[in-house]
Amino acid sequence: MQLKEIKIGHGKRLIFSSIISRIVVIMILCALAALTDYNNQKLAYNNARLVEMSSGSTSKFYYETADRFFSLHKEPLQASQKNAGMTWSIRLMGVPFTDPIAAISVLVRRHSMETGFALGLLAPLSMALLFGRVFCSYICPASLMFFFISRIRKLLLRWFLFPEWSAGKGLAWGVLAGGLAVASIFSHGVWSLILPYFAIGQTVFHGLAMGSLSFTVASLVIFAMLDLFLGKQFTCRYVCPTGRLLGFIGTHSPAAIRRKASDCLEPCTNCQDVCPMQVNPKLDETVDCSMCGECMVVCPTQCLSLGWRHTLQLHPKE
Amino acid sequence: MLLPLLNKLPFGSRLKRLLRPPGALPADAFADACIGCGQCANVCPNKCISLQGLDEGLENLGMPVISARSKGCLLCMACTVVCPTGALQKTSSDEDGMSSVKMGVAVVSFDVCYSYAGRTCGVCYRACPLPGKAMRLGLMETPIIDPNQCTGCGLCEQSCVHMPQAIRVLPIEEWNKNKEAYDIPPPLPPSPFARSKK
Repeated sequence: MQLKEIKIGHGKRLIFSSIISRIVVIMILCALAALTDYNNQKLAYNNARLVEMSSGSTSKFYYETADRFFSLHKEPLQASQKNAGMTWSIRLMGVPFTDPIAAISVLVRRHSMETGFALGLLAPLSMALLFGRVFCSYICPASLMFFFISRIRKLLLRWFLFPEWSAGKGLAWGVLAGGLAVASIFSHGVWSLILPYFAIGQTVFHGLAMGSLSFTVASLVIFAMLDLFLGKQFTCRYVCPTGRLLGFIGTHSPAAIRRKASDCLEPCTNCQDVCPMQVNPKLDETVDCSMCGECMVVCPTQCLSLGWRHTLQLHPKE
Repeated sequence: MLLPLLNKLPFGSRLKRLLRPPGALPADAFADACIGCGQCANVCPNKCISLQGLDEGLENLGMPVISARSKGCLLCMACTVVCPTGALQKTSSDEDGMSSVKMGVAVVSFDVCYSYAGRTCGVCYRACPLPGKAMRLGLMETPIIDPNQCTGCGLCEQSCVHMPQAIRVLPIEEWNKNKEAYDIPPPLPPSPFARSKK
């Protein structure tokens, strides 16, 4: 029986949706940080007019919007308190999500885990098992920053010559091991200096909820410099241990970018050149593919598509 | 002059004890469990929990901390409910849960306190969430603290009208270490009938 080909989307649509979904994630982070203010006003005033008198009409608007949303549930304050956290460990309407790195870090140091904490691993791990590194191009707010930095890099490359430094996969594993060692000596908080998305979460939280500039901006600047001068999406490829771990988990993910070998042009290397993760779709490599869809845009014959891996066999190599 | 800078070094502040949110595990177990995700600071309706920066060393990086003088803890226990790793043990928000909390112990500086100087104040007693238990009032509204019942929420320190504060919350580790130095019986306030010196 021939399996029907599933086309989830065209390349440009994928890039667009990845940008939109990451912007939504950033907006959720900002909203969570702003919820701290809402909790405070809810407890202190519990009255839209008093909020306006003390903090202005903009505050009143946000307060009323949040109040309307959380009043759908029984207790607005308790409903809003079910949402908290940042990309490192987050809770949305009571559903916990845990970063696998956080779980490893706690396991290494404490040798035990809370049940809710372990349950929070379910969604990230199953997503990695099914789709590979989709976290990197659809959820990670830092990779949105790196996406735009890679565009700036492309622009600067017209006038300057930056090297494309290539480190091995071992670097990210080394960062993971080193981070675990540092975290077990000091505190798990040092990951906020190592993981770009945790750094963004900290920055947003410190900026919006506490009104202070976070130290993690420094590490974000360092990551941005790495990306700008050492290689396209250098941090995602070689430094970020989460991406490496998720890529390792999703090595045999059923969803993948597939190539119709009969349509593929022999001398063309567009997909290979454009791939931010330096995966080579031409050789049917799918490990570390984050399904960003950039290769599908540049492919002149539209031979690349997103679908299930086992349907690759329908297009045998010539 | 350089001595304070030593505390900024990574290992310099290892002995520093900070006031943690309610239900926190003992210092070492807390450092093992807390991942610094900031969920406690996020749900705190009083905004008293803040995430530590680099200023207390890498050991406390990203950890929740309460500075009682700027804001004390209301003991609403919202943070203990959301904590994903069990660094803050789940506690009920009724009176039993409140009295089971042991964040620290309040200590009065008798030579600074208005009431012990004969000027009746009693503000800290009004702020205490466990009045009559954790804090009793003596003559001239002098605060008398029961170290076994005080939760260390810091509301008394926040409300103290004297500057600098006459009542301070010591983190429980600090209290346990230097109990003898801090646990001294309160003196009697001066008699209100004594003639004031000109």
